[in-house]
Amino acid sequence: MPRLPPSVFWRARREISPMAAQLLPACRDLESAANELRWIRQHVRDTRSPIPPELRIWKLVEKRGRGVPLQYVLGTQPFGDLEIKCKPGVLIPRPETEAYTLYLASLLCKDQALSTTPPPSLSILDLCTGTACIPLLLLHALQRYPSLSQTSLYAHGIDISRHAVRLARLNQAHNNHLLSAPSSSSISNHVDNNPKLNFTQASIFSPNLLPILQSHSPQWDVLTCNPPYISASGFRRDTARAVRNYEPRLALIPDAQLAGLASQCKCQPEDVFYARVLEMAAVLQPRRVVLEVGGWAQALRVVDMLSEELMALYRTVEIWRDEPGAGEGRKREVVEFGGREVRVRGEGMGRVVYLYQGTEEGG
Amino acid sequence: MLRQLSSLPLLFRPAGPLHRYHGSLIARFTTTTPASLKQLPPRPKPPPESEIEESFLKGSGPGGQKINKTNSAVQLRHIPTGIVVKSQATRSRSQNRKIARELLAARLDELINGTQSRTAIVSEVKKKRAASKAKKSRRKYRKLAGEKGREEKNEEEEEEEGEEEEGQEEARLHEVEGKTKTTESNNAQQTQATPQGNETR
Repeated sequence: MPRLPPSVFWRARREISPMAAQLLPACRDLESAANELRWIRQHVRDTRSPIPPELRIWKLVEKRGRGVPLQYVLGTQPFGDLEIKCKPGVLIPRPETEAYTLYLASLLCKDQALSTTPPPSLSILDLCTGTACIPLLLLHALQRYPSLSQTSLYAHGIDISRHAVRLARLNQAHNNHLLSAPSSSSISNHVDNNPKLNFTQASIFSPNLLPILQSHSPQWDVLTCNPPYISASGFRRDTARAVRNYEPRLALIPDAQLAGLASQCKCQPEDVFYARVLEMAAVLQPRRVVLEVGGWAQALRVVDMLSEELMALYRTVEIWRDEPGAGEGRKREVVEFGGREVRVRGEGMGRVVYLYQGTEEGG
Repeated sequence: MLRQLSSLPLLFRPAGPLHRYHGSLIARFTTTTPASLKQLPPRPKPPPESEIEESFLKGSGPGGQKINKTNSAVQLRHIPTGIVVKSQATRSRSQNRKIARELLAARLDELINGTQSRTAIVSEVKKKRAASKAKKSRRKYRKLAGEKGREEKNEEEEEEEGEEEEGQEEARLHEVEGKTKTTESNNAQQTQATPQGNETR
């Protein structure tokens, strides 16, 4: 990381506040230092505490200046219309995840609108759920679409970490008021149409998990997964310092013990979770599979990992970039894969591998 | 205070077809804010999504789990006019998207309607309020200073100076009022014109 010139610190002190100068080592530029200082002040103003506000601001600024991620300092991160609580030990939700989750919700809704009879239920399975940001945002976005008002929504989150599952439940309670069905829909029609959400603490590599999941729902509609996908060398080389020092390794790099498994299924150590999730997908046969990946190369590797069986099952295979909704109506971007057309959507880095049993209508 | 005064012209307004002519007369005689100013024009609607080019400002790099950005800035470009707006007001990107769209709508409103745009009218009202507040406080302190001065027996100079200032201030206020009145009449013209516009469409 290049050294910041002293002039930037002078300017922060003179033009914004001495506290902005304290934030600079973490924020790296004046604009974001000013923004973060404003957000810290806002947070202190909006929350109650017996400690005097000036002292609280100073403490939070000091913590952030040391390099602690702002989301851990303030305890929250906005995610769509939701506010997700963040605690050390659980990965902070990323804006890319927010973008593709909302895009997925719009796809699901479009699909429902096209079908003449809306299905009675829609079930979502989220593996490596962490803060539970993906299922929460999906449920929130879906239940606001009128075409899905008659559908009962169900989501299930799995995570290996005890802290994550506890935080996921906390987040469910924290956003409960946003998840209940809109009151305007007729009460007489359905007694309870609030989406249901459950969490289980389990390893996705455990052989006992699959029968349990099958018993929960005979047919899953959506399987989402944002697994640890960074390689050990990528972790040392590419990750930001705040990520490396403060976010859980468990959520970023596949466990070293699984490396043996990787050699078994002939894939890179950082792709071992995809191997397992695809194995699970072959059994559960969810209608859609959404896998977050760490870049273009990894996206191609995951597409390459699809077995003959899965290739036959999923008629649509796509790679989404960071903003899957952007650049709509532009020239189709397509990559060839073993005689199979793989559509690429959006702008930015390769972010998601998307599988769908049907074919996407309209472009 | 303001509310009381502005409701006065309404009281004097006779109910009936004649009130339109009386209304303008009364408005000329009253020095208070016209009632119509209290009802500001509605917030302009953002342009259709097809005319907007949206981009999320972030540094280059791997993104995803490897980076943890707090910057959620949203930049919009209105393709037909080339206007660019940016919002980084909140930590939430969806919130910033909304704010940026409102900003763009306001900017377009300014471009199309000029002095009759919502932002222009709002700033006019604010300016006027600040002016009258300043005038009141000046009057108050002049009075206080006057009392003090009487005790010290050298009030004349200060008094004169103060009066002169107030006179200027009042003239400026009248000027502002004149402006708002013209914008008002223009607004009326516009509302008359819109049905024709609809017909041609």
